[in-house]
Amino acid sequence: MADGQSPHGPGEEPLAPAGPVGPAPAVRPFLVTAGRVAGAGEAASGRAMPVETQLVATTEGIDALGRLSFEQHDIVAACRVPQSIAEIAARLRLHLNVVRVLAEDLRSVGQLSVHVPDSGVTHDASVLRRVIDGLRAIPDSRGVLRDSD
Amino acid sequence: MACGPSPTPGGYSVTPTEPLARPAAGQAAVRPPLPVKLVIAGGFGVGKTTAVGSISEIEPLTTEAAITEVAAGVDDLSHTPRKTTTTVAMDFGCITIDPTLKLYLFGTPGQERFGFMWDDIVEGAVGGLVIVDTRRLDDCYAAVDYFEHRQIPFAVAVNAFDGKVEHSLDEVRWALDVSEGVPVLVFDARERGSVRDALLVVLEQALARSGG
Ligand SMILES: Nc1nc2c(ncn2[C@@H]2O[C@H](COP(=O)(O)OP(=O)(O)OP(=O)(O)O)[C@@H](O)[C@H]2O)c(=O)[nH]1
Ligand SMILES: [Mg+2]
Repeated sequence: MADGQSPHGPGEEPLAPAGPVGPAPAVRPFLVTAGRVAGAGEAASGRAMPVETQLVATTEGIDALGRLSFEQHDIVAACRVPQSIAEIAARLRLHLNVVRVLAEDLRSVGQLSVHVPDSGVTHDASVLRRVIDGLRAIPDSRGVLRDSD
Repeated sequence: MACGPSPTPGGYSVTPTEPLARPAAGQAAVRPPLPVKLVIAGGFGVGKTTAVGSISEIEPLTTEAAITEVAAGVDDLSHTPRKTTTTVAMDFGCITIDPTLKLYLFGTPGQERFGFMWDDIVEGAVGGLVIVDTRRLDDCYAAVDYFEHRQIPFAVAVNAFDGKVEHSLDEVRWALDVSEGVPVLVFDARERGSVRDALLVVLEQALARSGG
């Protein structure tokens, strides 16, 4: 590994690396995805995974945790409980687009399952009604429900 | 670390989300909830983060929103000086409706010049709430325009800083020139019940649009 400039190989142990950890955070995203970045153009055309897309570890992914390193390891580990792309980006301090690329990589090897919400379903009246009912049940800070005042 | 309680595996039969493609072998160990997204927009410092924090079940999380110019030539590892990426904070929270359904709230970055990357956040949203500070009305034009042009259901919420609103709602409506069907209301970004009611207004708009 040339001073942190190559992507972390699958065989490497996810232990503290010796020496410099890598370039500045601003450059780092391009390293972990081996130079690929999900493009803004994709987002514009609706092909990028929405930020609320759910990521879930598969049993294969959990079994592979010991062999995964760094970001891949952390994503699969965090996704033992379903997480959105945005949550993973925030918690692991990665760019959204880096998470998108890594999620696709992990999905393609069966270690992560990627659930893109169907916009037709999320906009469906029955779903919206359930959200409305659920929200109405949230009390305000004084414990007053919306419909009880 | 999860946002809300984790769904019970196999606890329901309806598939809320379809996997992007069935993984080579792996099955999701747990079925995720269906995520429904609302966007909280508005000018700089109008109370977007405050509103998200008032109602979210988690502390608002912050991430760097979309990279801009796609960083062509990203394989050039020594390119920091010619880096054409911009990172801006985007914060969000969530509310678990039930194990199969979760509402996400995303706050757009306030500055007008970040409008170009709203698409990345807004894609798939069911509605938007535009927060307005009546002392700086023009700060929210970009957000209002954005939702109008994309025909995303939205409402305008005037944040009553210190309980005071400098203009009447009619004046706000007139100044923003929003169409008749767009609700304009007053709320307090620090009050959970107030934020809840503002979000309900947005969701009712979305429901009406869905034909439901
Ligand atoms: N008095 C009062 N202060 C408020 C209210 N809402 C927000 N604030 C304060 O106004 C400031 C800005 O609020 P934020 O929630 O950070 O605003 P924002 O829209 O997220 O700001 P940016 O993300 O920077 O665009 C904070 O200091 C809040 O505490 C309110 O209703 N009344
Ligand atoms: Mg903010």
